[in-house]
Amino acid sequence: MNEFIEAKVALQWQQPKAAYDVVIVGGGGHGLATAYYLATRHGITNVGVFERSYIGGGNSGRNTTVIRANYGIPEAVRFYQRSLELFASLEDETDRWIMHNQKGLLWMTHTEHGMRAEKARAAVNTAFGAKTRYVEPEEIKEICPQIDLSGGGKFPVLGASYHEEGATARHDRVVWALAEGAMHRGVHVHQRAPVTGLLRDGDRVTGIETPDGPVSAGVVVSAVGGHVTTLASMAGLRLPIRSHPLQAFVTNHYAQAFDAIAASTDLLFYMSQTARGEMLLGAEIDRQPSYSYRSGHHFLESCAHRAMTLFPFLRDLRILRQWTGICDMSPDYSPIMGKTGVDGFLVTTGWGTWGFKAIPVGGEQMAQLIATDKTPELIAPFSLDRFARDRTLADRGSAGTH
Amino acid sequence: MAAFTFDGSSVPFDSGDSVLLALRKAGTIPGGTLCFAGDCPHCVATVDGVSYVRMCQVSCRDGMTVEPHPVGGAPPLPDGTTAHTAPLQIRHCDLVVIGQGESGSAAAAEAIARGRRVITLDSKQGADAIGIYAGLTVLARSQYGLERIHCDDVVVATGAAEIQPVCTGSDLSGIYTARAAEYLLAHGVDLGTVVAVGDPPPGHASVSGQLVRFEGEGRVAAVVTRDWDGTEHTHPCDTAIVGLGLHPRDALFRMARDLGVTVVGDAAIDATIPPPPQAGTICPCANVTADDVKNVWDRGFHEMELMKRATLAGTGTCQGMACLPHLRSLLADLGGTVQPPFTARPVTKQITFGEISAGAHLRAYPRTALDGEHRRLGAEMDRIGGWWRPWTYGDTEGEYWAVRNGVSIGDVSTLGKMIVTGPDSAELLERLYPTRIAGIKPGRSKYVLILDERGYVLDDGLVCRDGEYEWFLTFTSSGATFAEMWVRDWAESWELDVRILNRTMSLGAINVTGPHAKELLERVGLSDPPSYMGHASAQIAGIDCRVFRLSFTGELSFELHHAIADSVELWRALLDAGADLDLRPHGIDALLKLRLEKGHILVGQDSDFDSTPRRLHHEWAVDLSKEFFVGKAATIRTNKAPLNKQLVGLTMDGPAPHEGAVIWSDGDYNGYVTSSTWSPVTEQSVLLGWLHLRNGELPTEATIEERRAIVSPVPFYDPDGGRARA
Repeated sequence: MNEFIEAKVALQWQQPKAAYDVVIVGGGGHGLATAYYLATRHGITNVGVFERSYIGGGNSGRNTTVIRANYGIPEAVRFYQRSLELFASLEDETDRWIMHNQKGLLWMTHTEHGMRAEKARAAVNTAFGAKTRYVEPEEIKEICPQIDLSGGGKFPVLGASYHEEGATARHDRVVWALAEGAMHRGVHVHQRAPVTGLLRDGDRVTGIETPDGPVSAGVVVSAVGGHVTTLASMAGLRLPIRSHPLQAFVTNHYAQAFDAIAASTDLLFYMSQTARGEMLLGAEIDRQPSYSYRSGHHFLESCAHRAMTLFPFLRDLRILRQWTGICDMSPDYSPIMGKTGVDGFLVTTGWGTWGFKAIPVGGEQMAQLIATDKTPELIAPFSLDRFARDRTLADRGSAGTH
Repeated sequence: MAAFTFDGSSVPFDSGDSVLLALRKAGTIPGGTLCFAGDCPHCVATVDGVSYVRMCQVSCRDGMTVEPHPVGGAPPLPDGTTAHTAPLQIRHCDLVVIGQGESGSAAAAEAIARGRRVITLDSKQGADAIGIYAGLTVLARSQYGLERIHCDDVVVATGAAEIQPVCTGSDLSGIYTARAAEYLLAHGVDLGTVVAVGDPPPGHASVSGQLVRFEGEGRVAAVVTRDWDGTEHTHPCDTAIVGLGLHPRDALFRMARDLGVTVVGDAAIDATIPPPPQAGTICPCANVTADDVKNVWDRGFHEMELMKRATLAGTGTCQGMACLPHLRSLLADLGGTVQPPFTARPVTKQITFGEISAGAHLRAYPRTALDGEHRRLGAEMDRIGGWWRPWTYGDTEGEYWAVRNGVSIGDVSTLGKMIVTGPDSAELLERLYPTRIAGIKPGRSKYVLILDERGYVLDDGLVCRDGEYEWFLTFTSSGATFAEMWVRDWAESWELDVRILNRTMSLGAINVTGPHAKELLERVGLSDPPSYMGHASAQIAGIDCRVFRLSFTGELSFELHHAIADSVELWRALLDAGADLDLRPHGIDALLKLRLEKGHILVGQDSDFDSTPRRLHHEWAVDLSKEFFVGKAATIRTNKAPLNKQLVGLTMDGPAPHEGAVIWSDGDYNGYVTSSTWSPVTEQSVLLGWLHLRNGELPTEATIEERRAIVSPVPFYDPDGGRARA
């Protein structure tokens, strides 16, 4: 027995019905959170979640588990700040251990320009209640003793924004806690249940096609990651999304000694130590759009090198495993949520590299939209029509990668 | 005799021994069934500062230090002070054969006979394949360092691992796989009283019945088997040998199956599915027992991947080599179907950061030809816009006043510079830029924005006409690389007859600026300076230059473009000629102050993803009466939407707020400062910032850092531009 064996969650699987009030396509964090909040906040339980693989098998199980709200625009700070709150209370609410751990996130910079950007981040964060402040190198060293502030003589650390509420949680555990909470209240979650088409009545979407037959629905929600444009096109909808791979890797596990989450804007990597003790590293998205889950050696070689520039202790750590997820990137690096202009069809997408940290708030808000048929104020800025209305959410430099 | 240190004690070894063999000879044996083949996780230790090294895979070296991992815990993070580095070898061949057992050797020999260039890798010879990647590329670690091997084909001939026993007591020491026992006997190790189960090595007979458990305190003392009728038999022993069948080492094949990799020999066999384990540790890396798996199964975790994630079985140092057969067997027993193994991912042999980064480099920030001059003058260099540039020469305010009152020089070699020629060159530029191009006369220049298809500002710069079919374009320092891509892409997609040459790197540029700029340049040979926004060829201090008259600082300014080979000579000639004019160079810090007083935007700092010309107050740089330009349709569309925010000028008393500071209107967030500085010449703080309209109106004042700021027209200084045109 190891202490990390899932000891409480009990998943209850059901046979699919021919009709649901709500069908959610995609059994990842966002789809299951939507189901969870529909059931717990609105008493809507005649809900079917259809997952083509296993639950949490897409980006929910491939991300680097960072939770943060240190964005650069008010709309995003407010939104992710709500997510921080929901994450912090999720263990109590579900009575399940998601390994939530507030670690503090250091976002290091090495140039005058970068210092300006991190000070700006601290300012807008503070204005909207996110606890972020600019810190000088001496304090960085106190927070993170393993750092080489000289950056190997090449990338000296000039400062950082320090996001005190930056946290991590075990990605799979979040998915399971939400899945169980939804299932326990009557939601059906179906694995190995691909959606092959959408049922249409005129322009309206009225359900889904599956290999086991059609399933009708009052509303269909796309919570798909990776292939969202394929599904949306079945509804006659063109989404401004490009999918790019994002890679990560872990080492073997070591005794706990690295407390913070560390990132560098100029060296483009981020790192934390997992609850189990592995050093977990990621970088920026691959430039070339692709649906491939194949990992690359250039990423591994380069990311390891960049991380070692600030953290020389990594030199002798042994790398264990690398993997890849697919990020749905929107043109303005913000999510696309809510109504689509197609009746009966809602989307939650554009989760790029920031989907995990938005799981609870994304689900909460989508559930509220479904239950009330009114777009909640918190996600109104993220509507699909913002691109047509020239109301894109410009957040240069704080999209980040983790 | 040669020796190494293990857990503080000296251990002697014979030449060629692995660390584990030497330990076994000395009577020290880790717990768990040992394979001596690098498959299981039972013999990992910290070897010379590197943890998770399998002792069976490392040859002894005199003086080496081996530390066992803490019992029940994880090794500490190292301090990284060892000097483990490796060179990178890049190799090419037709075929890589991984594994040089019988089938691998045969595959290599057959390919060589057909004239193919073959590289073989074999762990037994110290060459570990780390992973197979697209390309095809095989990453390997060998005595030569990190090897990146580019090839057409890969044969995986990595053989098969022996299945580990899983039952009560299977974590005792003194248990060996059949091959391990054979290996130890061949090396003269006395195994004492041996009891073998399953398929034993040659010369040993197995006891009958099914393996039930091992007994002993720390070390195996007896093997218990059960007959078909349920009778248990206890067989006392010093050593237990288990031959439970083979499991293919096919991770390399499975991770690259779709890349056309082939698998041969034992690595291609169907995996033995052992009897479902009833008790004992299934995953020794993560310490997961058969009961743990059953408990998790009972709570709905039926998928192999979910089981892996819920128990962590298979995520440890052996990546499933030990647990996978048993996990598959147990899940098949519980669910009725044999599930495929979980996904194989690189790396297949663990590799350190130091080793893997052998060929990696940090992003290079280029330096201009004048870099040495700046540093000689004591400049503080910084990475700005992708280049190393002089931030300040130590006295920003002095540098500033030199520009405003005297004359100064600045290194602007980083500007994006491009020559466009050809019969369709005017047509190309007319389509690319939102302003009219055709009317620019040779010898004249025009300020331009570059818009993307969404009507957002990508960059800005100048269009300078040299002749009917000859143009010189400038872009921002950070935008130059993108600009080349942008211009070439459009030229190609429109199939226009143009030649495009990026001269950013080959041309240096020095800005001569200040009221005495003309006087200085006269001294070095510029007798007939171009008029404002004009340009001309001239010899300056004997150097061929293209002289551009423009102004970013707000003062009389000339940009001298020249071949970079002449940069240092030109720079020094200007410094010499201006010595009695108190000429001094200015850094970027002063330049940003100077330009901000003039209200010139910095694309990328003052603009954002969604900056339309209207939001930037640059409608004057867009001519919607043109038939076409990139971004025209979007500009027309977005201009119909109500304006929601604008980049505005602001002034404040007192020190400048920091850039990025929040702008408040009536207690609400209403934007942020993009640029700010104390303006010495106007004696106030001057700012640019984004301000949201409220009820369709721009506020006339705001609060920044708890002080009052007034929305003010730009430029803040010399609004009619008389100084630049002087």
